[in-house]
Amino acid sequence: MSAAPLISVSQASKVYRIGDAQVRALDEASVEIRAGELVGILGPSGSGKTTFLMIAGLLDTPTSGRVLFNGRVISKPETNLNQLRDFRRKHLGFVFQKANLIPFLNATQNVQIALQINGARRRYAAQRSRLLLEQFGIGNRAKNLPSQLSGGEQQRVAIARALANQPELILADEPTANLDSARGRQVMETFRRLADQERIAICVVTHDLRCVDLFDRCITMSDGRPTVQ
Amino acid sequence: MNLAWADIRHHVLRFFLTTIGVGALFTATIGMIGLYRGVVYETLLIINDVGADIWVAQGHRAGPFAELSEVSGTLDRRLEGVPGVSQVRRFIQFNQQYEINGRRLRMAVTGLDFPKDKGNWIPLIAGRHFYAGHYEAIADQSLGFTVGDQIRLGHDDYTIIGVAAGQVDMAGDGILYVTIPDAQTLNTFAPSEAILLNRMNKTAPGRSGYSAGRVGAVMVALRPGADQEQVRNYIRNWGDVEVLTRDDQEDIMLNGRLWRLRIQILAFVGMTLLVTTVVVSLSIYTMTVEKTHQIALLKLLGARDSIIVAMILQQALLIGVKSFASALLQSYVIFPHFPRTVLLLPSDLAVEGAMAIVLCAAASWFGIRKALSVRAQEVLS
Repeated sequence: MSAAPLISVSQASKVYRIGDAQVRALDEASVEIRAGELVGILGPSGSGKTTFLMIAGLLDTPTSGRVLFNGRVISKPETNLNQLRDFRRKHLGFVFQKANLIPFLNATQNVQIALQINGARRRYAAQRSRLLLEQFGIGNRAKNLPSQLSGGEQQRVAIARALANQPELILADEPTANLDSARGRQVMETFRRLADQERIAICVVTHDLRCVDLFDRCITMSDGRPTVQ
Repeated sequence: MNLAWADIRHHVLRFFLTTIGVGALFTATIGMIGLYRGVVYETLLIINDVGADIWVAQGHRAGPFAELSEVSGTLDRRLEGVPGVSQVRRFIQFNQQYEINGRRLRMAVTGLDFPKDKGNWIPLIAGRHFYAGHYEAIADQSLGFTVGDQIRLGHDDYTIIGVAAGQVDMAGDGILYVTIPDAQTLNTFAPSEAILLNRMNKTAPGRSGYSAGRVGAVMVALRPGADQEQVRNYIRNWGDVEVLTRDDQEDIMLNGRLWRLRIQILAFVGMTLLVTTVVVSLSIYTMTVEKTHQIALLKLLGARDSIIVAMILQQALLIGVKSFASALLQSYVIFPHFPRTVLLLPSDLAVEGAMAIVLCAAASWFGIRKALSVRAQEVLS
């Protein structure tokens, strides 16, 4: 495993104002994840897991601190979110609790859209999408709309979409929460395989402790801080 | 892959109903403009088609269309002697209601100066032009007659010798062409009782129509190369008649009699377009709000604003194009059955089509604004 971290969230804080009150959702959190590493982010509700995911996933900027990618500062308080969009498109993939597939696109198109947004040619995008779906065992459902797929199949399409642009980092938010234990385990094993074979860094926010054996490391969040690494 | 098209295909029924609804509004707009064009066409029909360069009407009257005009039935003889004049024809037109075969029919009885004018300029769809100076009539098809029909007008029977298309007056009444003497007879027709009473009471107010032997105006055709202004001034100097050119007649009708109608229709068109804009805006906005989660997802995947804007704009334009196509279809199916002419001019339709596209594009602004305000992190909410 490489010593240099792929992503470093360094001393990142996120403070929200709700009326006169200030809520410190993330409190000088520092986390590093290396290529090929599968890391679990655990913790109770309100511990700052999702906020961490938003900061690490470049969906929001920290109030203080910074995010580095391969040693380069990518996000800091004054960074414009629009500038992060291009970086996010090229380097990051996301998987959520819900598959979040676009209901009016079929399985192939749901994967294809990520490629086309990144500027891939339509023909290449279609070919790669079909290949990814076949790799995940749902090539036969390529033309089906999300409403015609089971929860597990939808989640596999979502993972295929996250992998479409060959990201270096995948961030997953409760990806097994809506799946039964067997399907949930399959998803986690897929992440394990991707980390091992594709050298993708994967950060999974989860409540599900049944799969912790697959993680390289678990980080427990509490009151906006990573307490156990 | 086109996101706008994919979304529309997924919600095809709603898109269809939206285009039908918006199309109906566009149809109303096309109809109102077409109705105005139809009224203009009908108003200028005789002015444009009859082949008169100059109309000589009653003095200080803008007759015979905009105002009632009555001139001597022998005025044409005087006009024949004017230098530059090639041909003169008397003209008479009045609206009357008759009961024929149990049907009440309003018609614009129009007298032609037979044999100088056999009605050759009237576009017939059946029958022939005038052969005889009495008891023949050419009817517009809206009156419902066929060639050979015998109709009783006043004390006399008339034979329908020809059926014409699109021959109605400004009020929309179908024109019945007869010869001048027949028109004068019909105009002065009164029941026996009324004639008797009129004889007994010489001071009784006169009828609103033309006096016996008089006509509405005389149409003048000029010789090639004749100076219209010179001829006009020559006739005007007589002092008892008004001289109006074809352009004068057009101007009087369009900017005088039809001015209020024009403003009214313009106001209705404006209102309909405003309603259409609101409806399209609301449709696009609702469609956008329903897609908030998908838009956030697209942003999370790194979609540029241009991709989101294009999706919404394309949907608005598709609604515009499909609605206008639906409006065209509805217009061509429905309007021919309207009692008044609804004239669909290609130039008007082109402008209306362009307006539909621009309007739908503008209506997408609210949806686009909403979409651009969506943040990628809303996917996590």
